[in-house]
Amino acid sequence: MKNQSNPWLTSNLFVLALGMLPAALLIGVLLYFTAWAFAFSFTDLALVGRKSVEWSWVGLQNFERLFTRKGFLDALWTTVIFVFFSAIVGQSVLGFLLAATLRGTRSGIRSVVEVCIMLGWLLPDIVAAFLWSATTSQTGLINALIVVPLGFPPINFINDYALPVVIVANVWKGTAWSYLLFSAALDSVSREVIEAAKVDGATPFQRIWLVMLPIIRPHIATNMLFITIWTFTYFPLIFAMTGGGPGRQTETLAVFLYNQSFARGNLGFGSAISVAMLAIVGVLSIFYLRLLREPK
Amino acid sequence: MESNPTHSRLTAIALTFMAVIWVSPFSWLILNAFNTASTGQLEIPRSVGLDNFAMAISGNAGRQFLNSMLIAAGTATLSVLVGISAAYPLSRLRIPGRNAFLWTLVLLRMLPSAGVLVPLYFAAQRGGLLNQLGVIIALTILNLPFTLLLLKNFFDTVPIELEEAAYVEGATLFQIVTRIVLPMSRAGIAVVWFFSFTGAWNEFLLPLIFARVQDAFPMSVGLYAAFGQQGAINYGFLTAYSIIYAAPAVGVYFLLRRNMNTGFAGVGVKG
Repeated sequence: MKNQSNPWLTSNLFVLALGMLPAALLIGVLLYFTAWAFAFSFTDLALVGRKSVEWSWVGLQNFERLFTRKGFLDALWTTVIFVFFSAIVGQSVLGFLLAATLRGTRSGIRSVVEVCIMLGWLLPDIVAAFLWSATTSQTGLINALIVVPLGFPPINFINDYALPVVIVANVWKGTAWSYLLFSAALDSVSREVIEAAKVDGATPFQRIWLVMLPIIRPHIATNMLFITIWTFTYFPLIFAMTGGGPGRQTETLAVFLYNQSFARGNLGFGSAISVAMLAIVGVLSIFYLRLLREPK
Repeated sequence: MESNPTHSRLTAIALTFMAVIWVSPFSWLILNAFNTASTGQLEIPRSVGLDNFAMAISGNAGRQFLNSMLIAAGTATLSVLVGISAAYPLSRLRIPGRNAFLWTLVLLRMLPSAGVLVPLYFAAQRGGLLNQLGVIIALTILNLPFTLLLLKNFFDTVPIELEEAAYVEGATLFQIVTRIVLPMSRAGIAVVWFFSFTGAWNEFLLPLIFARVQDAFPMSVGLYAAFGQQGAINYGFLTAYSIIYAAPAVGVYFLLRRNMNTGFAGVGVKG
């Protein structure tokens, strides 16, 4: 109770409580709405029409539909592929390699590369989607610079390889975050440790794998936690690039949720999807937090 | 990392190559934006001019810029004000379970926002808030858990001895907060403001559902609506519009860059 003996705080408890009031109110609203989102998942509420007013409780029917009807499981699989390749393989590994490489280079190159990567991250989602649609189109940069000069007919990437294209776009957009986090983490590894490993004859690969990685393991877990969850629920980029198509090739859970809730108006079923997503995200978080806590 | 000169030169070349690849998609954007007779193709413009930009800041497009500015600045300022007045007591008073509570809230916010959007939409509809004010309040609510956690962490780093000293000198609570705590956590506040600003500036889903008429669209929805259109697309206009839309988010970052990196290290370490 050390802090509460501070007189400027104890004599102003009323003012302090008053200051917390707006935030408490808004948090209350957030909790209330979240509770409603849960409740909706047990109803057949619709966006428009009769069921938007006269909805009724349908028990676990929405959750049964998740598994019995096509859509959810396919979207889950697409999401797993999207998260694995764009967040874990792409952003995380690339971000780490960049952070490790740039650590030793001159500051000039370092800031140029940094700014280039940051530009992707800072770009609004919709602009990034627009940019990548244009880059991968039949007359776009990749075709004009690589495919056509090599003598092949232009490829319509966004139609023929939709999922790889959105994965690449997301790697391009998101690597900066992992880079910044790993860069800050590697700064906390003391130079002496690295030098000692060098003196002992460790190769660059060994230095990274056996010395740096174990030291920054908590940061890796933190990073994984953040980017997995973000990518898992990431919506605007894919939605603006493909809308989930062609067919359902790029329909991740977030896009599926939007299409069900707002395009088709099945708010009840949509809420069930978001509850299921929350459950998956929760399990993943616990898994990563375990990883974070385990002794080195 | 390498002391070997050929090795480090190879690394430098590889890095430069990578940087070029990274920025190459921008070439199309820039070539088309400055091309007064843009066709959406990747080509060297025959006539260069700012006509597209003039078009992108006038009429409906200019209005959408103002909408975005209002939403982003409004959300960031409201989040920071509400956040500060709650985060200071949270940081200084020993409220049991406050950290667990804040983390629970942050995890709760990991819920895909489309889920909370449904009840938010109904509430806004009933309250007549399907407009910019509604978007600002909704975004502030969604931001608040993260804002509170970050601001509390920054206030925790302000040494309490300074406040004690000020109190002994006869300063009131208001003076202590505005003259000591706030100036000392300036970097943190800047980071939080920046996060909320860019978050709201980029926000797409919420205004897509809340904004019913074209006049109320922020730039994200305006751009989406324009390039989703069938028929003749005015690429010159769209690319110039994209650049104007991207500029503030990029600009604010570079203005606050030093603060950002300090604040960022804090996020990373505390996790």
